[in-house]
Amino acid sequence: MTPTTEDDRLLVEAAQADPARFVEVYERYVDRIYAFVSRRTENRAAAEDITSQVFEQALRAIGHFEWRGVPVSAWLFRIASNALADHWRERARDAHEAPPDVPDSRDLEDIDRRIALYQHVERLPDLQRQVIRMRFVEEKSIRDVAAALDRSEGAVKQLQLRALENLRKSMGGHG
Amino acid sequence: MAERPLTDRLDETVNTILARGDATAALRDPELAPLARVAADLRHYPSPDFKARLRAQFERTTTMTAAVSTTTAIREGFTTVTPYIRVREPGLVDFLAQVFDVQETFSGRGGGGGMHREVRIGDSMVMIGEGGAAGEGGVMPIRPVGFHVFVKDVDATFKRAIAAGATSLGEPADRHYGERAGFVRDPFGNHWYIATSLGPQSLATALRTVTPVLHLKGAAEYVDFLTRALGAVEEMRAAEPSGELRYCRVRVGDAAIELGEGEPMPGSFMLYVGDPDALYQQAIAAGAKSVMPLSDQPYGRVGGVEDTVGNQWFFSRPVTASS
Repeated sequence: MTPTTEDDRLLVEAAQADPARFVEVYERYVDRIYAFVSRRTENRAAAEDITSQVFEQALRAIGHFEWRGVPVSAWLFRIASNALADHWRERARDAHEAPPDVPDSRDLEDIDRRIALYQHVERLPDLQRQVIRMRFVEEKSIRDVAAALDRSEGAVKQLQLRALENLRKSMGGHG
Repeated sequence: MAERPLTDRLDETVNTILARGDATAALRDPELAPLARVAADLRHYPSPDFKARLRAQFERTTTMTAAVSTTTAIREGFTTVTPYIRVREPGLVDFLAQVFDVQETFSGRGGGGGMHREVRIGDSMVMIGEGGAAGEGGVMPIRPVGFHVFVKDVDATFKRAIAAGATSLGEPADRHYGERAGFVRDPFGNHWYIATSLGPQSLATALRTVTPVLHLKGAAEYVDFLTRALGAVEEMRAAEPSGELRYCRVRVGDAAIELGEGEPMPGSFMLYVGDPDALYQQAIAAGAKSVMPLSDQPYGRVGGVEDTVGNQWFFSRPVTASS
């Protein structure tokens, strides 16, 4: 669910008054920022590194954030965009595309869709969720997943198929 | 030829997506295509470990930051960190007044019998202790420290410093880091790295008039210590290919500190914080040793520690009109 601007304002004011409340800003936006960054980086390590940088910079700057009705997400996307541009500049020799800008409305829809998908993963039956995490996060082979779960490779392939079918159904109109 | 089972075709597609981020071949297979689209999106599925780790990092950092910064505005005009220079004889305030834009804001007899003086240089506060028993076997030693100072005209300021008795450590020159800078040692041994900004790449925009500069051995490890002990947040670093930390800027509360590898010049600092007890305990837990147990003094609650490289940090919540 997208936070309202009033939620945003209260969140920012709380974090400005008490830095410990910044964790709430992180919780609310980490998935969106990661979803934005991960599509524009070459691998998971780079996406995690840049997401981490975005929130570190935001923590340093939140004391100076002036509330003008601009959503916190727009501010974080701007920080992310700059961090991505720096990342690309460092890799300038092999980068041919233009530096990324903040997300447009189509990007935002895409981000929302993927966040919904990630939330559906969390609601999968245990074994199916474990297979998805091992395959897509840990990038384990079917053989390694089978060994870890003490199942046959055929059974793990079945679990993978069922998990993806469930996710496709859950996504419905989003898919 | 019998078609391969969907489980195998899907697994092959997942392997291709993980290896190359490419699901185009699968999109031609009507049974596989909708699953391949989901799988392609899962390639960016965030690691729960990463999110939890990062969350824990922010919880740790912000809890420490909160202890440092909740009441940084206790004394008007001060930031979280104020350098404290101890000298054996009077004269440093006069030297500073001849060189910089200085205003003395407080002068009074200190606990050790010497004079405690506070001066404002530009927008920054510096505390100076003159004479007194403490330091000769007392808490705060007499020793020179380093400062980065921004001025409007480095050449004129440098000349005034030399005329006031300073020794040149480097004539004013345009430096590669965006400053015209000259370096002096004052008659008490303190280093003043005097600078005028040459443009946007200068550090001037992130710093106040005076910023303490710590020279030490093992700077990279020391930044970790400052993070754990004081909740310092690293803002920038420049390291040699060997990993040696040439320059680093950290922020403690709302105050910047610069540091880098070099001949050790430890200093003493007063930190105005909301919860001196918490910071004191945190610094001890990070490896510092106590030099002044926390106690309530007429001017406020205060306690101090010395860290592994000899810097002293005094945590204070001063008495104010509202407390």
